Amino acid sequence: MNTLLSEKHRTVRRSVRNFCERELRPIAKEIDQEARFPWEIVEKMGNLGFFGVQAPIDLDGAGMDSVGYAVVIEEISRVCASLGLCISVHNSVVIYPLLAFGSEEQKQRWVPPLARGEKIGAFCLTEPNAGSDAAAIEATAVLDGDHYVVNANKVFVTNGGIADICLFFVRTDPKAGRKGVSVIVAERGTPGFVVGDLEDLCGMRANPVSSIRLYDCRLPAENLLGKQGMGLRIGLSGLDAGRIGIAAQAVGIAQAALEEGVRYARQRHQFGVPIGKHQAVQMMIADMATQVDAARLMVYRAALLRDQEKPFSQAAAMAKLYASETSSKVADLSVQIHGGYGYSKSYPIERYYRDARVTRIYEGTSEIHRLVIARGVLGQ
Amino acid sequence: MGLHIIVCIKAVMLEPPKGQLIRSVDSLELNPFDWPALEVALRMKEEHGGTVTAISMGPEDSVFVLYEAMAMGVDRGVLVCDRAFAGSDTLATSTALAAAIKKLSPFDLVLFGTRTADSDTGQVGPQTAVVLDLPMVTGVHSIQWTDSGIQVERYADGFREEFNLSLSAVLTIHPRSVQPRGLGLSGIELAFEEGEVEKWDLAELDLSPDQVGWAGSATRVLSWKRVTRERKCEFISGTANEQVEELVSHLKKSGLIG
Ligand SMILES: Cc1cc2nc3c(=O)[nH]c(=O)nc-3n(C[C@H](O)[C@H](O)[C@H](O)COP(=O)(O)OP(=O)(O)OC[C@H]3O[C@@H](n4cnc5c(N)ncnc54)[C@H](O)[C@@H]3O)c2cc1C
Repeated sequence: MNTLLSEKHRTVRRSVRNFCERELRPIAKEIDQEARFPWEIVEKMGNLGFFGVQAPIDLDGAGMDSVGYAVVIEEISRVCASLGLCISVHNSVVIYPLLAFGSEEQKQRWVPPLARGEKIGAFCLTEPNAGSDAAAIEATAVLDGDHYVVNANKVFVTNGGIADICLFFVRTDPKAGRKGVSVIVAERGTPGFVVGDLEDLCGMRANPVSSIRLYDCRLPAENLLGKQGMGLRIGLSGLDAGRIGIAAQAVGIAQAALEEGVRYARQRHQFGVPIGKHQAVQMMIADMATQVDAARLMVYRAALLRDQEKPFSQAAAMAKLYASETSSKVADLSVQIHGGYGYSKSYPIERYYRDARVTRIYEGTSEIHRLVIARGVLGQ
Repeated sequence: MGLHIIVCIKAVMLEPPKGQLIRSVDSLELNPFDWPALEVALRMKEEHGGTVTAISMGPEDSVFVLYEAMAMGVDRGVLVCDRAFAGSDTLATSTALAAAIKKLSPFDLVLFGTRTADSDTGQVGPQTAVVLDLPMVTGVHSIQWTDSGIQVERYADGFREEFNLSLSAVLTIHPRSVQPRGLGLSGIELAFEEGEVEKWDLAELDLSPDQVGWAGSATRVLSWKRVTRERKCEFISGTANEQVEELVSHLKKSGLIG
């Protein structure tokens, strides 16, 4: 498989993998159990360019393409999916929309510190009454002189507990329905910006997912991204890019689950032979390896289409759907191979199993992805 | 005009596919023992100014190690590559490298890793120094600049040794002397997209075919096969007391305790 990648992308894989094995592997279990964000390695990751993979070099990013980005997310997630999530959201749905829709001034102001990893980004769309139905958001922004007065209650914000620069989806025109949604940037520290309690999550526990509320928060009008009413367009184009990140994350988790399953199948003996000699276990391994490979190919294809500036939405949606479902399936089979030990915290597979599950839920559930894909196929 | 430091690096095969010794791009990697040599060169450049050139002798598919070196901060990469080099032993390799190094004159230092992860001879650095007729110290831990050259420190057989060397000189760098920096993504992007590796063949080096490859080699590898050591893991079960009993009897049986 890897020979499909260029020399450059193989070097990206090797160097990110080396970093993750050396710096992240030793703490991955502990930060999951303690639900702690690993600040200690953020600076190192920032220096290596992980926080600005696709941002241009003159804005302190690494200037990579989407395939390189997918490889980075995959490798980080193979070792620690929580950090893969942090980096994926930060790059795909924060930096990318700023680059695509921001004014020159906004880019210069926000992108470099984000790309260096000195500031962390968040994407605040979901609300208690608006999940899959993004257009149902209730947050409001009312223009008052040269400021917007914003009230919002955003939940399930990835990086919420640590984010400095947050894209808020708000309603600027209460009567305009889908066209009344806008995106405005809120910086932590602005009066009225309040971070809620961290979610006590099943997986992705090292990511401080939290609610963020804005109470009569006065944000300068120049913090509006794009034009008023462009919010859903900005959101959807960010999510298009984000799908490649989440799909790559799912491939990374699936790869980790596969490797653990193979390792255990070689080492565990029952009935006098390694369990990998039993055909039932071999069938599982074969299915796992095949599905991981297929998912990876779909992710790289979507990324390649994006790099070639061809339509990639449908390919990205399929990759996200298939890779996320695959990571759940593969993690489940790997638990099965581990038997009782797979259900214990003594082995890493239980973490992969928990982490894999949410990839089918966030940045669009599998059901919503099927709707999108079917619409594309049926030409509706 | 600053220093000119040359670092010799190699693509090695790590974790060959099960049962086979196949050289393929996917199983190649920059020799892990060469990273510290590159790091030492780059730190000297950062401190004193100058340029760092990396050279690798190997087939076309090993060119990526030079791009990786450039991604790390090396200024210039040279691949010494010719069909005639096939089958070179460490002597023939040293002959070719020395010719390339001469062509890169003037230079102050030539650095090597102590050995390679795939053939492990540790001969190429020292032999190249001999061919170039330059002073050489192996397994260097640290380097100080003096008025007349450098003072280096090496640990060997429980002793700390110090040497003064005049320049130009050849050093092999101890793998634990420095922690190499990681490759940043922007470095990788710039090296692979904008960097250029020069390719030098036999003619370019003014060597004749009988000095390199099989003809120029003093040794012949007769056969090559992987030796694997069996490791087994046994689980001990039962109550804590039973487990201790069993463990002790195991250790006794294997002669590890008396
Ligand atoms: C760990 C984590 C991190 C997250 N990070 C972020 C973040 O950074 N920013 C952010 O804005 N949000 C984030 N989310 C929220 C996430 O995107 C939403 O949970 C997701 O969009 C689903 O919304 P919901 O939970 O309200 O479910 P609902 O929309 O209520 O869906 C419930 C169920 O109904 C199904 N369903 C809903 N509508 C339809 C339909 N039309 N047809 C068929 N089935 C349907 C869904 O597929 C699902 O099975 C995060 C969530 C989690 C768990």
